[in-house]
Amino acid sequence: METLSNLAFGLGVALNWQNVLYCFIGCFLGTLVGVLPGIGPVATVAMLLPFTFGLNPAPALIMLAGIYYGAQYGGSTTAILVNIPGESSSVVTTLDGHQMARRGRAGPALGIAAIGSFIAGCIATLVIAYFAPPLAELALKFSPAEYFSLMVFGLIAAVVLARGSLVKAIAMVCFGILLGLVGTDVNSGVIRFAFGAPELADGLGFVALAMAFFGITDVVLNLEHGEKQEVFTSRIGNVLPTLEDLRTCFWSIVRGTGLGSLLGILPGGGALLASFAAYMFEKKVAKPPRAFGHGDIRGVAAPESANNAGAQTSFIPMLTLGIPSNPTMALMIGALMIQGIAPGPQVMTERPELFWGLIASMWIGNLMLLVLNLPLVGLWIKLLAVPYRLLFPAIFVFCCIGAYTVDNKVFDVYEIAALSAVGYVLLKLDCEPAPMVLGYILGPMMEENLRRAMMISFGDPMVLITRPISAAFLFAAIALLVAIALPALRAKREEAMQE
Amino acid sequence: MRIRSPKDFWAGLIFIAIGGGFVLLAQQYRLGDMHRMGPAMFPTLVGALLVLLGLIIALRAFAFDGESVPRFYLRPIGVSVLAIVLFGVALQWLGLIAAVAVLVLVGAYAARDVRPLENLALAAVMIAFSVAVFVWLLGLPLPLWPTS
Repeated sequence: METLSNLAFGLGVALNWQNVLYCFIGCFLGTLVGVLPGIGPVATVAMLLPFTFGLNPAPALIMLAGIYYGAQYGGSTTAILVNIPGESSSVVTTLDGHQMARRGRAGPALGIAAIGSFIAGCIATLVIAYFAPPLAELALKFSPAEYFSLMVFGLIAAVVLARGSLVKAIAMVCFGILLGLVGTDVNSGVIRFAFGAPELADGLGFVALAMAFFGITDVVLNLEHGEKQEVFTSRIGNVLPTLEDLRTCFWSIVRGTGLGSLLGILPGGGALLASFAAYMFEKKVAKPPRAFGHGDIRGVAAPESANNAGAQTSFIPMLTLGIPSNPTMALMIGALMIQGIAPGPQVMTERPELFWGLIASMWIGNLMLLVLNLPLVGLWIKLLAVPYRLLFPAIFVFCCIGAYTVDNKVFDVYEIAALSAVGYVLLKLDCEPAPMVLGYILGPMMEENLRRAMMISFGDPMVLITRPISAAFLFAAIALLVAIALPALRAKREEAMQE
Repeated sequence: MRIRSPKDFWAGLIFIAIGGGFVLLAQQYRLGDMHRMGPAMFPTLVGALLVLLGLIIALRAFAFDGESVPRFYLRPIGVSVLAIVLFGVALQWLGLIAAVAVLVLVGAYAARDVRPLENLALAAVMIAFSVAVFVWLLGLPLPLWPTS
C-alpha cells in the first residue's frame, strides 16, 4: 500500500539523529509546559518560533509538533494530581482523573492516560498518512474562489466550535483579519494602517501577537486569580493500570481515538474539542455501571485518547490545505513561512521529506512520551511545587527575548506591551483571543484569494456561489451558523461549555 | 433604557470603535471596484462587518441580561506592561544583562507575593540562562552590555 511505503520513507527521514533529537526536545518541552499550569503549547510554540529560523524545516516542525501533542500528555498529569488542568484540553480529565487520585488510584489514572494517548497517537498517525494525500490532491484543484470560501468555512467552523458568545467570536475574527491587513499590501505596495511607522511595514508579527494574547495576558489573569493547589504527592504507587482496567477501557480508548481523529480534522477542531466531545459521548455510551464524575477510569481514558488523536489530526488541514484549525496550527504555518515554505497542498509534492518525516516523527514522539511520562511522573510532580511567582518572570523573559530576536527590533517588544494591554481588556470582556489569531493568519490570504477570484470573474461576486465546491463551503458555513443559533443546539453547546 | 448586560455593551462599543476606525483609516487608500479591488476594499468590507457585529452585541446588551464588567486589577497588567517596556528600553541602551535584570525585578511586582531576595536570585538565574542559551548556544545577536 502506498501509505505504508510513504510512512517508511518518512521514518527514514524522522530517524536521522538530528530529527530524533529535536523530537525529543519538543516532547520534553511539551510535557513540561503541559505539566506547568499557566503556560501552554501555544505560548511555547510562539516563544520558540523565532529560534527555529536557524534550523532546517524538518527538525523545526518536528520539534514544534512534539510540543503540541506532548503538552497533551503533560496536561493530564496536573489534571489528575492537582485538579488543575495544565492544558485546556485536560479540563475534562480533572473530572474523573482527580477523583481517582483522591481514591488512591492516581497511578492507574496516569497510566491509562499515557497508554490511551499512545494508542490514539499511533492510530492518528496512520489516519494522517492515509487521508492527507487524497485531500491535498483535491485541494490542488481549487481555484481562488474555492480557497476563499474554504477559509470562510474554516473560520466559521472554528468559531462555532469554540467557547463563548458566537457573535463576539466572529467579531474577534474580524478584528484579527483587520490586524493582519496592517502592513504592506502585496498587490499595490501600499503600506496600510502603519501610522507612518516603518517598523510596521511588515505587519504586526504573529509572534508578538501570540505572545501578547496567549502568554502575557494569560500570566496576568493567573496573577489576578491567585494560586491554590492541593497536590497529591503521596503514594503514586504503581503507575500501571491493572488488566481489569485495560479491559474496561478498551472501547473507551477506541471511541476516544475515533472521535478525536474526526474532530481534529475539522477546522476549529483539535485537542480541546476532541476531549470535551469524547467525554460527553463516553458518558452517554459507556456500559453501566457508570461512575462519571466520581472516578470512572473510562472518564480518563476516552478524553485522553481523544485529545492526542485530535492534536495530531489537526495537522491535516494545515499540511494539506494550508488552513489552520486552531491557534497552534496557525503558528505552525508561521513556522513554515519563516522557513520560506508557502503552506498549502503543494508542500506534500514539493517537500515530501518534510511532510512524511513530520508524520512519522509523531509516531516516534508518542513512543518517547510514553517512556517519558510513566517513569518520570515523580519528576513532573516536583516541578509542580515551583511557585508561580518564580515561574512567570521566566515566561516574561522568554517572551520578550523571543519577540526581539524575530527581527532584532526593540519595537517588537513595545508591541507586545501594547498588545497585552489590548488583549487584557478584551479578555476581561469575554472576547476570546483564539479566533482573532486565526483571523490574523487567514485575513491576508483571504484578501489575496478574493482579489484573484474577483479578477478572474471580472468583479462578479456570484462566482463564489456559482462554482459548486465554493458554494458548498459557504453553504456549510451558513448551515453551521444557523444550526448553532437554534435554541436546542445552543443549549447543548452551552451545557458542554459549562462543564 | 437600562443596560442589562454591561460586559457585552462595552465589548460591542469597542468593536464598533475598532471597525469604524479601520474603515475610516482605510479611506485614505484607493477603494477600487469589485473587479480590481484596491487596498481599501477588503479592510472596508471587514471593518464594516465588525461595526455591524459590534452593533448587534451592544444592542443585545439592552435586551438580554448578562454579566457586569468584571473588576480590572491594575497591578498585574500595569506592572507587566511597564516591565516589558522597561525591558525594551534597557535592551536598547544597556544590553541584555541589564534588560533581563530589569524585567525580572520589576515584573516580579506584578504578583501579590513579592520576595526581594528570591527575586534577586531569580534574576541572576535568568541572566545566566539567557546568556548561556540565547547568546552562546543559539548565537543570537543580542547585545550583552551597554552600547556607547
